[in-house]
Amino acid sequence: MREYDIVVIGGGLAGLMAAAAATKRGKKVTLLSLGSGTLTIGGGIVDVMGYLEGGIPAATPSAGLLQVGEGHPYKKIGRPAIEESIRFFKEICEQEGYSYIGNLDKTQWIPTAAGTLKPTCLVPKTMDTTELKKADKVTVLGFDALKDFYPSLIAKNFKKIPAFAQKEYEVVMVDPKLSEGRDVTALDVARWLDTEEGLASCIEKMRNVIDSGSVVIIPPVLGTRPDYAVKEKLEKALGCHFIETASVPPSITGLRLRTMLVRYLKKNGVRIVEQAIVAKSIVEDGKCVAVITEGVDRERTYYAKSFILANGGFYGGGLLAEPGKVIEPIFNLPVEAPTDHELWANYSLFSSEAQPFAKLGLDVDEKMRPLDANGKVLLNNVYVAGRNLRGYDFSFEKSGNGVAIASGYQAAMSV
Amino acid sequence: MKKHHNNPDSCTACTVCIANCPVTAATRKFRGPKMVGPTLERMRLSQDDIEPSLEYCSNCKNCDMSCPSGVPISTLNMLARAKYFKNRKRSLRDWILSHGEKMAKLSAATPGMANFGMKMSRGILKKIGISDKAPLPAYASKSFSKLFKNLKQTSYPDKVVFYPGCFINYNDPQVGMDFVAVMQANKLEVIVEEDFVCCGSPLVVNGFLDEAEENAKQNVQILKKWTDKGYPIITCCTSCGLMLKQEYQELFHIEGVAEYAKHLYDADEFLLDLHDQGRLNTNFGTLNEKYMYHAPCHLRAQGMGLPGVELLALIPGLDVQDADAGCCGISGNYGFKDDKYDISMEIGSGLFKAIKDSGRDTVVSECGTCRLQIGHGANVKTLHPLTLVRKSYEAYHK
Repeated sequence: MREYDIVVIGGGLAGLMAAAAATKRGKKVTLLSLGSGTLTIGGGIVDVMGYLEGGIPAATPSAGLLQVGEGHPYKKIGRPAIEESIRFFKEICEQEGYSYIGNLDKTQWIPTAAGTLKPTCLVPKTMDTTELKKADKVTVLGFDALKDFYPSLIAKNFKKIPAFAQKEYEVVMVDPKLSEGRDVTALDVARWLDTEEGLASCIEKMRNVIDSGSVVIIPPVLGTRPDYAVKEKLEKALGCHFIETASVPPSITGLRLRTMLVRYLKKNGVRIVEQAIVAKSIVEDGKCVAVITEGVDRERTYYAKSFILANGGFYGGGLLAEPGKVIEPIFNLPVEAPTDHELWANYSLFSSEAQPFAKLGLDVDEKMRPLDANGKVLLNNVYVAGRNLRGYDFSFEKSGNGVAIASGYQAAMSV
Repeated sequence: MKKHHNNPDSCTACTVCIANCPVTAATRKFRGPKMVGPTLERMRLSQDDIEPSLEYCSNCKNCDMSCPSGVPISTLNMLARAKYFKNRKRSLRDWILSHGEKMAKLSAATPGMANFGMKMSRGILKKIGISDKAPLPAYASKSFSKLFKNLKQTSYPDKVVFYPGCFINYNDPQVGMDFVAVMQANKLEVIVEEDFVCCGSPLVVNGFLDEAEENAKQNVQILKKWTDKGYPIITCCTSCGLMLKQEYQELFHIEGVAEYAKHLYDADEFLLDLHDQGRLNTNFGTLNEKYMYHAPCHLRAQGMGLPGVELLALIPGLDVQDADAGCCGISGNYGFKDDKYDISMEIGSGLFKAIKDSGRDTVVSECGTCRLQIGHGANVKTLHPLTLVRKSYEAYHK
């Protein structure tokens, strides 16, 4: 019977990081994934802790970590492991030629496509705002026919931000000549820049509208591959600085990050099974022996010494909501939730409070092992990571990828 | 979460499928899987809605594989295509490409003549819309069923049923013969049913859904008969396998598919299962050879990983490197079409480059049309994993 050291369930950032940390420790890993995770939807940057309760911005991610409540995953993981996990993540990026900048002691406020600023911790070099902050004059560059990126809106809204109000803004457009066929997304423009002809043509067009030395805000279009080739070639040819904004799905920065991490795992011998619908587990004497996938044809059994459960929350299918209760379908682990499900939601849409449903999830010990209501470890060789953990609303506090990286790493290091 | 719920409302419009669709990456004429699939399906449910770019979907299933909500996007597209053609005339080109089995049977009497004729008539085929550059497969001088009939097998109490499929039967029978040899080396006797018909995959992609359903009904009855008796069914073609076990359930309502699907195996996976049970003949001779491997999309879609890679890893000396460069672009008969040929080659370009960069001159892959496309696009030799397994068994006895 084929037995692996670790089976990781879930191919999102938590699962990918868990697999990466496990393989780094010399473990034989199988990763079971369903769909391609949420990285391509919005995950190219790493938020660690942006807002505290009450919607107050954390001074730095570090300061935010000190102020999270008792039940928060960061509290379980602890500061040293969080720091190590961030270091490990950056190490992989560096090694793969797509390094990320930032650290826990500094909040990076990055521009969004709506002309607002969003707090985060780690970003790819294409989102480095150093030059933007220094510049007196900023060029906002859009592409004809590109949906969801309106340079004049960005310029107008930047004027309302105190730190950006004194700057002068210029709006320019480049026509990528992509109007034939379907609607144009940032992905189409990025793919155009992936090609040598597209890049050369874009440089020519940009030359006509931007001056050398400009600081240029653009949508996330600097190539789909996890490297900085497009950025470097553009900047060298035009003598400008380009800064990508955070934008709507599909997320080009998230696509790059996922491509890079999957490539890293495969290079390091992780066996990845796509379309694996993990449905149940075999548990004997408080230990999981195997998990079972339910294909359209038949069940398949995956044996391992340890298991990392990183299959997401309500959206990813790791947690299922039913009236008055929450179910964790693979191990049937307990999830504490108000029986009156009216209490799950905060009905005030833009309130300064987190959503109660977002905080529902699995309780774990410091090693990320699942606990029962009395704080007793339920399964000795099962570790939980990512969105199925209880105690945090990633969307409200801006902590999603930070928790994914830290908990995935901690789970793999605890095995 | 079983995969045969064709509910467009499970789509949350997250756009992951767009980022993973090889056709969308290759041409702007396709509006993309999300739009053409679930978004427009909601319209199609209430009215007769026509989306011209539907014809660009190749049914490669990368959208289904990337979807976090389990929407069978490509199947929605195939059903919409069938609906579109319900009251419309089909082109001769689409008829020919969909009826490979009929064409093969007509040519079976004189495959040499048929091949000669095909070479001569590439100009004519081009006129009806089949690319004159595409790697159309030649007919084998003897079909698999003929070769198999003349083969003396050793009889064993344990038997398996082989579903060869059209490509192995008419174009590449050696893969079928290698399969039989590998089964025999594992003390298994192979049964082949004369009444199996084309799985219907080439019909479905061109909108001949009713005909595909007729084929499905016949195959289901035979497959069920054998699995009811306790025999496993094995395929060597990943598109046939996907069709028989999954797409039949998504496209049709035929009783019995779920029952036999439990016992329908890809050949590589079947051998790995034997290995897990300690039953695999592991008398593998050393093969000091280097190959690239290409994972067919229709294998990846089956949720079993890459059994071919794991199987070949058991052979001493063998160095098989996964190209891991995505879809080859052929998608059955998609790349044969004159107006799709360039798209198909553009889709495969990343894979062809990865293969050329590797410097290896032979590529291993389960899918017959992937092998054709790779041979054509990367100018390399190709073979099925079982050919290497057989070779390794033979090397052991030398």
